[in-house]
Amino acid sequence: MTFLKAGCWITALYSGVLLLTGIANADDEPFRPEPGKFPPLKSAHAYRGELIFVDHANRRGSIRVAGTGKFYRNDPQPFAMLPYGVIRYHGAPAELRDIPLGTVMHVRAFLPPDPKLSTVPVLPVNNKDKDVGHYRGTGTAPAENHVLLLEDEPSHCLRENKVWKLQEVEVDGNVGKIIASRESRDGGEAKEPAEELTFDAATRIWRGRERIHVADLIAEEVWPKAGKKQLAGQPVLLGITWKPAAGDGLSGSFTQFHISDIWLNDEAIQQAAAFQRETHKSFIRSRWMPAWIDAVEYGKFGRATVTATLFGGMDPSLYSDFRKGLGAQMNGAENTLKHAAGHYGPGHLASNGTILDVTRLSGDVSVGSSGIQIRFETDLIIEGIRTGRVVRVRPESWPKMQIPREEYLFNNSPEDRFPTPDIFPKY
Amino acid sequence: MKRFESMFWGTALCLGMSLTAGSVNAQDEPFRPVAGEFPSLEEALSYRGELVFVDHANRRGSLRIQGQGTYFRNAPHPFAMLPYGVIRYHGAPADLRDIPLNSVLHIRAFLPPDPQNSAVPVFAVDSRKKNSGYSGAGIYPAENHVLLLEDEPSYCLRENRIWKLKELEIKDNAGMILASREPKGGSEGKASVESMTFDAATRIWRGRECLAVEDLVGAGIWPGSGKTSLEDKEVLLGIAWKPTPSGVFTRFHVSDIWLDETSMQRAARSQTETHKAFIRSRWMPAWVDAVEYGKFGRAIVTATLFGGMDESLYADFRKDTSAMMNGVESNLKHTGGNYGPSHMASRGRILAVTKVDGDIPMGSSGIQIRFETDLIVEGIRPTRVVRVCPSSWPQVNLPREEFIGDGSDPKHRFPTPEMFPKY
Repeated sequence: MTFLKAGCWITALYSGVLLLTGIANADDEPFRPEPGKFPPLKSAHAYRGELIFVDHANRRGSIRVAGTGKFYRNDPQPFAMLPYGVIRYHGAPAELRDIPLGTVMHVRAFLPPDPKLSTVPVLPVNNKDKDVGHYRGTGTAPAENHVLLLEDEPSHCLRENKVWKLQEVEVDGNVGKIIASRESRDGGEAKEPAEELTFDAATRIWRGRERIHVADLIAEEVWPKAGKKQLAGQPVLLGITWKPAAGDGLSGSFTQFHISDIWLNDEAIQQAAAFQRETHKSFIRSRWMPAWIDAVEYGKFGRATVTATLFGGMDPSLYSDFRKGLGAQMNGAENTLKHAAGHYGPGHLASNGTILDVTRLSGDVSVGSSGIQIRFETDLIIEGIRTGRVVRVRPESWPKMQIPREEYLFNNSPEDRFPTPDIFPKY
Repeated sequence: MKRFESMFWGTALCLGMSLTAGSVNAQDEPFRPVAGEFPSLEEALSYRGELVFVDHANRRGSLRIQGQGTYFRNAPHPFAMLPYGVIRYHGAPADLRDIPLNSVLHIRAFLPPDPQNSAVPVFAVDSRKKNSGYSGAGIYPAENHVLLLEDEPSYCLRENRIWKLKELEIKDNAGMILASREPKGGSEGKASVESMTFDAATRIWRGRECLAVEDLVGAGIWPGSGKTSLEDKEVLLGIAWKPTPSGVFTRFHVSDIWLDETSMQRAARSQTETHKAFIRSRWMPAWVDAVEYGKFGRAIVTATLFGGMDESLYADFRKDTSAMMNGVESNLKHTGGNYGPSHMASRGRILAVTKVDGDIPMGSSGIQIRFETDLIVEGIRPTRVVRVCPSSWPQVNLPREEFIGDGSDPKHRFPTPEMFPKY
């Protein structure tokens, strides 16, 4: 009896520990995006870094992440765009191919949704807190390498309603330094600490339709030929890159960024945004709108009605092409947004049908989602069009085009469908 | 005796056949660049294609090459820059990182100098002649080691050519342009006319201004819709590729139009300044022609500076000024750099700067330096590639991917072609 009692207590204690462990594990389990749900932007890890390498066909690349130490020593860190991840350049929608190497980007990223299928190396969950040594400090290799939002400096400022206020310029032969701080456009909130940034004779300065050089500003006596000038908080937008700077060694500054572009007024950045927007509109019309499947109502003989949410971050004019009653095509795609087939163009094997309905979801729309759902009826429901899968959709008003070889799958090579992280060098 | 005679004749025949085969092989052996010699541009295979992928740290990438067939189907074809290979963008020296993806480039390339150490896949020597189905021939040449890579305006400026705009067809700020590339200042009897697309994202440069198609339409220079003759208006074009409707085999896209010389000169100036800052921080590439060894690690090194840079960079190499020399790989990566390339570099003095007489081959600057150092190292041997920094250039630290590190990973010295997908 005593034995039984003891056994009972041991079992109860064991069950209790198991339960507690379970609860503790559930609490400690780090957040990972789930299929079918757009993760909230505020849960993402935010960091900033320089774009080093791009594999645009697989929507991945590498970034040198700014940490607490010597920037130049930081190994490029591989990242992958989430299928619904949004890219912005010059204040407009973009693709990785549009962003020049060397551009400093703002990143909001998550742990890999499914580490086994990650196209980039999977790192320990707490990697961002580790000091990687060799003067690099912490934060340079976050495990959060699946990106929800990737934006260049002017896009970040425009989204957050901020500007750079120029405090002082120091010129020495068409090169020099600017001291500036990123602040709220309206001047409301406390400003961020001032940064010292370099510029040189290749820095592009945009004024209305004009593209001018530092030498032009000097010739116009807007900036001095040599020496310092106070700029009285002149509001501008900056394009930021990184390049090696003198004194950036052990005795120099840890991280100093470089100004690639200065937009002096609203007209200038609006023009830059217009060029980028048109580039991206043309891109999406030829590659089709990405979306994922919320639900499939199966009918008979291959018929089905598919409910899909269009991914976000595109120009509104593209969404307005999705209209009730219009013909459309839907093609299976991978998480890289590669078309599942395309040797004769993606239209060749896509499922044809009609858009039955277009609904705008009410309430806050998460980054990654357009907030627009379509109901699409097809007589060719296929394996690639299942709940949770990613697809691409073409309203019939968009041109039928053939896309380049690296942007579609062919012969079902597993490496094409699930690219491995092998291409990234180990440092 | 008979047996001996027949053995004799057998041996003689065999020897003769071997000799004949040897001379045939020597004649048929395809040309490959040789270490220490700049190959002549005329011997290079020339082709044209779209930049699809870039691994700038290893000076390699992929191009979709224009062949005879359906362009979109052509798989990206890997290429590597020769160490002395020249890149030009917007009429100025450039690095691979400066060229936007999708730019259509002109290429002059050779077979791999050393196929065993090629950083990109090695193909059968006659690959350029092979038919690839709907893609036709010419899309994956074995000549994938590049001597000259240049964008459309750079090509036109080097060859003294311009584009003459014939006709425009426009609707909603997009459409088609008919144009032909012709010698500047004269017409070529049979210049072929190309049909290219443009759209609302096409940048039009006029003096200091950057205009959009809608600006030209708004100013009444181009019509809002329909066809119009452009009366051979002379311009320079930036050319890219994007998918095009109507099942056309190959049709390129106009990304930029430079309407006047001022606008092109300003673009070239920006790119020149970008590249000058780049070379000052990464140092001037060169190769070692000769080493005169002295005692206790001293040596006098003769090196030829590579070509294609802005003249002001070469002017910084002056007699009797100090300098540093660092061994680099064929991809121009510094061999040491954790504390900056200067940390492990050999220091010394420039004893002489000589300009070589006669025609200067592409890849060479025609400038030789004699450099004396007290630290002659393994990386500074005849035919090896080095980088040189005159004392007037700033000392900076390079990003991690641009130096070899401790050399423990052979892939850093000899990058393999594994990263290129097989289609």
